[in-house]
Amino acid sequence: MTPEAQQMIEHIASLIRKPSSHIDENTPLVSSGLIDSMSLVDLLLKLEDLTHTRIPPGKVRPKDMDTVTLMFATAQRVGKPRK
Amino acid sequence: MSSKTFSEKSAVQPLRYLVNIHVNQFPTIVDALEAAPANRPFVTAWIDEDEQEALSFGEFRIRARSQAVQLCDHSVGPGDRVIIVMPQGISAMAVFVGAMMLGAVPAFLAYPNFKVDPSKYRSGLAGVTKNLCAKVVVIDKEFPEDMLDCVSTREDTDLLRAGEEAEQVANIHFPEWERRPEGLAFIQHSAGTTGLQKGVALTHATVLRQLGHLSRALDIDVDNDRIYSWLPLYHDMGLIACFILPMVLHVPVVMQSPMDWVMHPETMLQIISKHRCTLAWMPNFAFQFIPRRTPKNRWHDYDLSSIRALINCSEPVRAASMMEFRNAFGVCGLKSNALHSSYAMAENVFAVTQSEISSSGPRRIWVDAHLFRLQQRAVPVAEATPGAISFVSSGQLLAHHKLRITSQSSEIQEGAGVGEILIQSDCLFDGYYNRPDLTADAIKDGWYHTGDLGFCLDGELFVVGRKKDLLIVGGENIYPQDVEELVASHASVHDGRVIALGMYNPDLGTDEIVVVAEVETQENLSESEQIEKEIRSLVVGGLGVSVRTIFLKPAKWIVKSTSGKAARSGTREKPLREHPELNTNVKEI
Repeated sequence: MTPEAQQMIEHIASLIRKPSSHIDENTPLVSSGLIDSMSLVDLLLKLEDLTHTRIPPGKVRPKDMDTVTLMFATAQRVGKPRK
Repeated sequence: MSSKTFSEKSAVQPLRYLVNIHVNQFPTIVDALEAAPANRPFVTAWIDEDEQEALSFGEFRIRARSQAVQLCDHSVGPGDRVIIVMPQGISAMAVFVGAMMLGAVPAFLAYPNFKVDPSKYRSGLAGVTKNLCAKVVVIDKEFPEDMLDCVSTREDTDLLRAGEEAEQVANIHFPEWERRPEGLAFIQHSAGTTGLQKGVALTHATVLRQLGHLSRALDIDVDNDRIYSWLPLYHDMGLIACFILPMVLHVPVVMQSPMDWVMHPETMLQIISKHRCTLAWMPNFAFQFIPRRTPKNRWHDYDLSSIRALINCSEPVRAASMMEFRNAFGVCGLKSNALHSSYAMAENVFAVTQSEISSSGPRRIWVDAHLFRLQQRAVPVAEATPGAISFVSSGQLLAHHKLRITSQSSEIQEGAGVGEILIQSDCLFDGYYNRPDLTADAIKDGWYHTGDLGFCLDGELFVVGRKKDLLIVGGENIYPQDVEELVASHASVHDGRVIALGMYNPDLGTDEIVVVAEVETQENLSESEQIEKEIRSLVVGGLGVSVRTIFLKPAKWIVKSTSGKAARSGTREKPLREHPELNTNVKEI
């Protein structure tokens, strides 16, 4: 696991009400109800910070953010270098 | 059968559009659209800063007519119901209007998302198509193959993928229909899933009357106004205020999809700045969601000085949320009098009240807490009075609207009495489609019983909560019964012993869902983490919303009503007493 992925997991743990829940890179977050739609923006902002990219809205769907693995793959696919 | 020819003339229209539109001059919504100058800008669909699609009224009419031809090919005609399950965007809007051009009756439904269990969505859609006796269900061309399981229709309902092949065709013939103001225009749905979904049927005349009243209350300036929206088209605020109103009044609108907005709320600031938008509506939670989710170092990048009315609507209006938005974006040029409020519902097409648009914003008052709780009376007190409760006005009634407040014993409340809000108007719906039972419950003696609680003071309405069992989460209406049914389907949950509550979360500015469920055995409590996880999956799979907090309890914990059923009202206070960390207000239901 990369340090960035580990930081993202720690961020997710701080967002949810059950910090003791086990979360790894492949834990479903949105489809399991652990993260709601209104928290997706927190994940996107964190992802932009960790990958030093700007992720254009309209190019990413909630299912692209369902696991930590998918998040980093999405950033690689659609992320643009920060201006 | 006679036919009508439509064509788009290429003649240049005057750039300045000086005609003051009187919506009531048009017999139908379609006639209002057809009166718009062809080159006048209508809708801009914003994908991101590099990708936008902008259509003039003329171009939109061509798109709508081509969709009408496709529907015509499937024998859709006057009065037929057309269900549209498409992603938010111009294509979905074109199908909606294309159906209306044929005299058919369209209805938007929410697009399935990956969170929702296909079988649940499928049964919900089947329930709606059955109730509406829909002629066709229209899906988009890119509708995912793996989500086709979500779409099941009756034998006599066609499934149609909306194509774009005919989009370049400008001259089209299709059957003429009698354009009657009293004909049904469309159906908009209120909250609920399969069994509880209510289709609010509205005529052209009813919709146009509402738009006439609303445009006067908002002092719409056809030449200078531009609407911004991220609101879903299957919700009255998105459908009426941000699609039908601009289409009928010939006002430009810039819109983005709700999902793009919720994942990047900052884009609202970006779009308003770039397009100089003047009007927008959004539910209460968004007033604090946007400043909290936009990095402070970017606030200065935006210019919100063009906004003349940003209207808080569809959730109870909270002063703290409004102040947070105003305080955050004053640096962006947001005018101090730009924030407003409204009370609206699908059953009245849309707005019932609107705060005075030329005022400094909705009035805020403080009332005596003791009298409010014990005598259900709202008696104003000074701002600094200890324990006083604050409310924000939703404004004054629109023209041709009447309001009545009734007590629990159905007596009319005079003065500052708090009770259920009943309304009468010339744009009230006639009934729920094919549901005379629900209509009879809702409209009595010509008064629509809203299920909302409120009071009137000096001609202004203050909405304080809900009487009906309805949760409003992020502006979305959710029946607690739907949540309870899903939770009760879990094997470890005692059948029928589940309560879903709406609990106001000040950090979110909206309700969150709290579930209390009794487990079958004491041993189940030791597996609570796994059971909670499974319950979350059940609810998100069934309704697409997340449960924030779950309390698993032993047998006989939930308060029962005299009939032996789990009582939501009786159980409401118990979690608060046992869990002081939840020091928030449980929603009154």
